[in-house]
Amino acid sequence: MVAFLWLVAAMSPLFREWAAEIRLEERLQPPSFAHPFGTDDLGRDLVARVVVATPISLTIGLVAATVSLLVGFGIGGAAGYFGGAADLLLSRLIEVVLCFPVLFLLLALAAFLPPSPAMVVLAIGLTTWPADARYARAEILKAKSLDYARAAKAAGATPARILLRHLLPNALPPLLVSAAFGVSWAILAEAALSFLGVGLPAPAASWGGILSVAPAYIEEAWWLAVFPGLALFATVSAYNLLAEGLRQATTEAEVK
Amino acid sequence: MIRYIGRRLALAIPTLAGIVVLVFLLLHLAPGSPASAAGSAESGRRVSAAAREEMRRLYGLDRPLPERFAQWISRVVRLDLGESFVDHRPVSERIREGLPATLALNGLALFFTLAIAVPVGVAAGGRPEGLFDRASAIALFALYSMPVFWAALLLQTLLSVELGWLPLYGISSDPAPAGLAGIVDRLAHLALPVTCLTYGSLAFFARLVRAGVLEARSQDFVTAALARGVSRRAALWRHAFRNALLPLITLLGLLLPGLLSGSVIVERIFAWPGLGRLYFDSILSRDYPVVLGLSLVGAVATLLATLAADVAYALADPRVREEGGSA
Repeated sequence: MVAFLWLVAAMSPLFREWAAEIRLEERLQPPSFAHPFGTDDLGRDLVARVVVATPISLTIGLVAATVSLLVGFGIGGAAGYFGGAADLLLSRLIEVVLCFPVLFLLLALAAFLPPSPAMVVLAIGLTTWPADARYARAEILKAKSLDYARAAKAAGATPARILLRHLLPNALPPLLVSAAFGVSWAILAEAALSFLGVGLPAPAASWGGILSVAPAYIEEAWWLAVFPGLALFATVSAYNLLAEGLRQATTEAEVK
Repeated sequence: MIRYIGRRLALAIPTLAGIVVLVFLLLHLAPGSPASAAGSAESGRRVSAAAREEMRRLYGLDRPLPERFAQWISRVVRLDLGESFVDHRPVSERIREGLPATLALNGLALFFTLAIAVPVGVAAGGRPEGLFDRASAIALFALYSMPVFWAALLLQTLLSVELGWLPLYGISSDPAPAGLAGIVDRLAHLALPVTCLTYGSLAFFARLVRAGVLEARSQDFVTAALARGVSRRAALWRHAFRNALLPLITLLGLLLPGLLSGSVIVERIFAWPGLGRLYFDSILSRDYPVVLGLSLVGAVATLLATLAADVAYALADPRVREEGGSA
C-alpha cells in the first residue's frame, strides 16, 4: 500500500496541468463521470488535485520524520550513552518539551517562521523529537548494559565506535518501528497545519490544504471533505500498518 | 513516601524553569512582531514607520532581550501574565473566560475515553486473538489513523447537514432556550465536539490497557487465582486488571497535552468559545502575551498532572516508593 502511494506520487506530474485548470463555470460540481471526485470552489478537478498533492504530503512526512528522528536520537542517544549529569540535563530538556501540547508549539513555530515547505518540515521535526528521544534513550540504556557492549569497552573501543558499531545496529529494529510511526505522525501534523491555514502557502496545496476549504461549503459540497480526507486516512493507515507489521516482526524475532 | 514525593518535586523544579525559559524564547526570537502584524498586507492597514516605532516602545519591544526576560520572570512569579495586545484586557481574564468551555469539552472527553477504553481494553486483552479482540483491534486502528478534522467534517456532513440531528457548531442556540430545553440544547451542541476529541485518545488508551492486561494475565498470581477456582471473570477483573491499570495511571498525565492539541482543531471547526480557539486566534494576530500565557498555563498544567499521576501511582504501589522511581 505504501508502494502504491509512492507510485501515485511518481505519476503525479502527468496530472499537474489538469489539477491547475480553473473553470469557474464548473465550480462545486458533484462527483460525475468526468470528475469522479467532483470539483472544488474554483472548478478544479478533485481527483487531479488529490493526486498532485500526494508527493507533497508524502515527502513532507518523510523529511519531517527524519529531522525529528535525527534530533531525537542525537539527544536521546547522548543522554542514554553518557549517563550521569548529561543524562539528567537532557532528560529535563525532553521533559520540558513534552509538557507542551504539540499543536501549541507547532502552531507557534509554523505561524512565526516564514511560510515555506522547508519551514513546515522544520517546525514538525522540532516539535515531535522528544518522543523519539525518550525512545532512543531507553534503547541505548538497554543495549549498553548488555555484555557485548561492555566487552567492546573493555577491549578499548572508542565511544563513537561502540555507539555506531555495537549499539546502533542492535537498537535499529525498534528504531525503524518508531520511524514508521513518525512518518504517519508527521503527515498528520502537516495536514493539520495546512488545514488550519498555517501550513504550505497556496496554491501548492497538500491534502490538508485541499480540506481547508471544505468547512466553508459543508452544507452543499460533501465531496470536498470526503475525498481528500480519504487519501489522507489511507496514507496514515498505510504507514501505521507498516509500523505495526515491523513491530510484530521485530518482537517475534526477539522472542525466538 | 514523603521522601519520594520530595524527590519528585525537586525534579519538577528545573522542568518548570525550563518551561518558563522556553516559552519566552520561543516567541521573542520569532521574526514577526505585533507592530509588523498591525501593519502587514493581510490586515490591509498601513502603518507609518514612526507609528510602528511608537508601538514598539509602548510594548517594550525595543528593549534588549535579557531586560525583557527579567521583566517577564518577575511578572510570571506574581502570576501576572500581562495584557492582550488586541483588546488590552488582562491575559488571565481572557483565559478565565475560555476556561469553562474548554474544561467541559476536555473533561467529558477524558471521561468517555476512560469509560470506553478500559472495558474495551480489558475485554480484548482477556481473550487475546478472540473475535472481540480482532474486531476491536481493527476498529481502534482505524480510529487511531483518522485525522480529527476529517472526522469532524464527516460527522458534520452526515449528522448535521444530511440528517439534521445535531447542530453544526457553536455552544448553544441563539437565543438559548430556557430550562430543560436549554440543557438538551447544550448537550446537543457538545455531542460532536466531544466525540471528535474522544476517539483519538480512546484508541490510544484502549491499546495500552489491552497490552497491560495481556502482560498481567500471564503472571503467576493470575494463574494461581485460576487454580484456586476463582472464576475467569473475577481473575481477570480483580487480579489482572488491577495490576495492569497501575502503570497506566502515570500515562494519564500525558493525555492532557494531547487533548489540548485536539482542542485547538476541534474548537476551531465547531466554533467553540474555549482556550483552543483563543490560542489559535492569538497566534494569527500575533498577540504575544496571550500566546505566552496560554502556553505557560498548558505546560504547567501538564507538569502538575504528571506529578499528581506519579504521586498517585506511588500511593497505589508501594514498590515504586521503595525503589525511589526512575529519574
